[in-house]
Amino acid sequence: MTLAQKFQKLSARGKSWWILGVIIVFVIIVALTVGGNYYNNFSKTLAAKTNDIVMLPLVTPIPFSLGLDLQGGTHLVYSANVAGIPAADQASALASARDVIERRVNAFGVSEPVVEVNKSVSGEYQIVADLAGVKDVSQAIKIIGETPTLEFKELSPAAAAVSAKLNASSTATTSVDLSAAQNWQDTELTGKYLQRATLQFNQSDGSPEVSLQFNSEGGKLFEDITGRNIGKPVAIFLDGYPISTPTVNDKITGGNAVISGHFSVDEAKMLVTRLNSGALPVPITLISQKTVESSLGSQSISDSLRAILIGLLLVSLFMILYYRLPGLLSVLSLLVYGLTVLAIFKALPLWLALILIIIMIALIFYTFNELKIFNGTLAVLFAIIGILLFIYATQAITLSLSGIAGFILSIGMAVDANILIFARTREELKSGKSVSQAVDAGFKRAWPSIRDGNVSTIITCLILIFFGTSTVQGFGTTLFIGIAVSLFSAIVVTHTLFVIILGDWLEKRPWLLGARRPKTEEVSK
Amino acid sequence: MIYKIIQKRRIFLSLSTAAVALSVLALIFWGLNFGIDFTGGSSLEVQFAGYHPSLSEITTSLQSANLHNLVIQPTSDSYILKFKETSEDVHQAAVKDLQTLATAHTGASFKELQFDAVGPSIGQELKSKSFNATAIAFVMIIIFVSFAFRRVSKPVASWKYGVAAIIALIHDILFTLGVFSVLGHFYGVEINTPFIAAVLTVLGYSVSDTIIVFDRIRENLPKSQEDFENTVNRSVNQTLTRSINTSFSAILALLAVLFFGGSTIKDFALALIVGIFVGTYSSIFVASPVLVVWDKIVRGQKNG
Repeated sequence: MTLAQKFQKLSARGKSWWILGVIIVFVIIVALTVGGNYYNNFSKTLAAKTNDIVMLPLVTPIPFSLGLDLQGGTHLVYSANVAGIPAADQASALASARDVIERRVNAFGVSEPVVEVNKSVSGEYQIVADLAGVKDVSQAIKIIGETPTLEFKELSPAAAAVSAKLNASSTATTSVDLSAAQNWQDTELTGKYLQRATLQFNQSDGSPEVSLQFNSEGGKLFEDITGRNIGKPVAIFLDGYPISTPTVNDKITGGNAVISGHFSVDEAKMLVTRLNSGALPVPITLISQKTVESSLGSQSISDSLRAILIGLLLVSLFMILYYRLPGLLSVLSLLVYGLTVLAIFKALPLWLALILIIIMIALIFYTFNELKIFNGTLAVLFAIIGILLFIYATQAITLSLSGIAGFILSIGMAVDANILIFARTREELKSGKSVSQAVDAGFKRAWPSIRDGNVSTIITCLILIFFGTSTVQGFGTTLFIGIAVSLFSAIVVTHTLFVIILGDWLEKRPWLLGARRPKTEEVSK
Repeated sequence: MIYKIIQKRRIFLSLSTAAVALSVLALIFWGLNFGIDFTGGSSLEVQFAGYHPSLSEITTSLQSANLHNLVIQPTSDSYILKFKETSEDVHQAAVKDLQTLATAHTGASFKELQFDAVGPSIGQELKSKSFNATAIAFVMIIIFVSFAFRRVSKPVASWKYGVAAIIALIHDILFTLGVFSVLGHFYGVEINTPFIAAVLTVLGYSVSDTIIVFDRIRENLPKSQEDFENTVNRSVNQTLTRSINTSFSAILALLAVLFFGGSTIKDFALALIVGIFVGTYSSIFVASPVLVVWDKIVRGQKNG
């Protein structure tokens, strides 16, 4: 006889003991995932106390990913002005601006900065930088903002005309002010094409100069510009100001340019560093920031933890007082629920995420099959939920205040499926069914309501996730994970526990289920 | 024990109509008190230790920073300053002024807890994003409810369940907005990004709550000996305990957030509590009565 056949021969309760075994393995895995460092500390203490006789294997703790409002840090939104860049090149220019900002923040010592390019509804490009745990925000902003924009400009037609007149007649009295930005017009050559800047010294007078090496594309552009401006000045603009306005003597090939200005050695050195760490290909302006001091963040963490515990306690108390024994079972499944959700919040390795999700989906399918309400639509629904859960399990869900509120709300809503089932079970008991029949019918008949109610909430969650801003997305994600896991905990965990405790002893004590049977029923038994 | 909820629908529907009418009036006359997430502007939270400056001292110290529309709200242990400027320079100037104010007093220290600056374009974007999300949610929910009730057609057509659910939904959203209009007008409670998440959640919750009552009607209809009105009433009664208990446990969890979750998400929790409360109320006292009233009107036309 194969194992499967043996399993089929077991009684409903016998099977449930096996399922309970699987659930316990599942709970141990999620508990180790959630509280890995507590477990490690415990096994280390245990080893120390028993002189290394009891050596429990250690697990790799996975940290929660905390949002800026919980660990302190700053969220900066820059608007990127791509007006001067041809449409085809905008994406790459933005991407390199992003890289430059990331390098700058990295240099500032922020661990794992998140820098992203977003497109707003109105079509404006934004660069968003999340700097967690940064101490001196204003310094960070300065460093990002000071990133130089390097531009090469030639004289505007009007100014060129004046300049030409100037050269033609020595009697002209007007002159072109080369330091005025309005006399210059943009060329295509910008810091984007810069490969390397180096400090060198002028061979004739030893004054410091900055040598620029362009990439091949930039070299060609530079050749064109110098070619059409022989005898005329061109300007090198840094951060919107001309820093050097040399007059072109000859067409320059090879992609090399020299800025010789009135630098001191230190100034020239600074300029080289700034140019090398990245000339921003796109000008940016800070349009929004959100900064949270780290002490406020840790205050929020302890507040949230307290709220989670108190919320859990209140809901548990209510469930036990109102629903008695089933209430107690639902509290147990609520604990499984809480641990599972917290585990999914972490960035799990692929294999672990796969194991957890497969166990959950398999147990759900098994339970539906036992209840004889399994069908294709259900399989599709849970396959979709399973895939989404798997994706979320492999990623770190960033916990922010609103995300945690979503989690706490989902604790309150997770008992809904239980409440629906218990309410139905009570009704069936009142109609005179035996306890086991009533439990079975209770689950079966509560299911359509559970399904429809949760699907409509899942739709809302998906809308929150796809169309919301990041705060709203965080809330939608945690709420979705909560609802998906609550289906598992209510259908699988509560049901299994219920089937196991069913029995004659319970038939004689219907008050444990909170049901008063009609007198006539008891007589007829 | 069966409560005569549907039979007394006039009372409940009048009550709801009045509540919605008041909410709409509040929204028309007072509007919503939009926070900086929507309007743009800055919010700076600072803490003084060893010295508690008066509001006028803070205002005076900030004169050189030249802040527009400055509002200072003291909290239990900090001050929240709101102003129109959003640039980093103004922010630094303001912080420097407050620092100076603290250092002028021996033993006093100063700390910047939190700073939010939202450029006006972001606020505009948030408004349109929120509007889109709500509109899409509405459409999806109507589609879902019509789909879920596609097999129920007698005596009330399936799409009417959808419409009744949406009526209950609009009732809940308007009431929640109305409450926040009043709170905004009298207590300065602001509408920021999390509020949108709360409203959308209430939207989902309200519908799921209504659907569970309708599911019971759908289940009871084919085998019912009673007329539509009494079948609906029985269904509402059967789901009454569940509706109240579920909302009660959700509200218990949210009360924990409201009282112990820290000041930042208080308003968010409050919006959810109001929304879930009214969502439960409407699933019992609005959505089902509307179905019955509609049925009566249709019958009346047929008979007349």
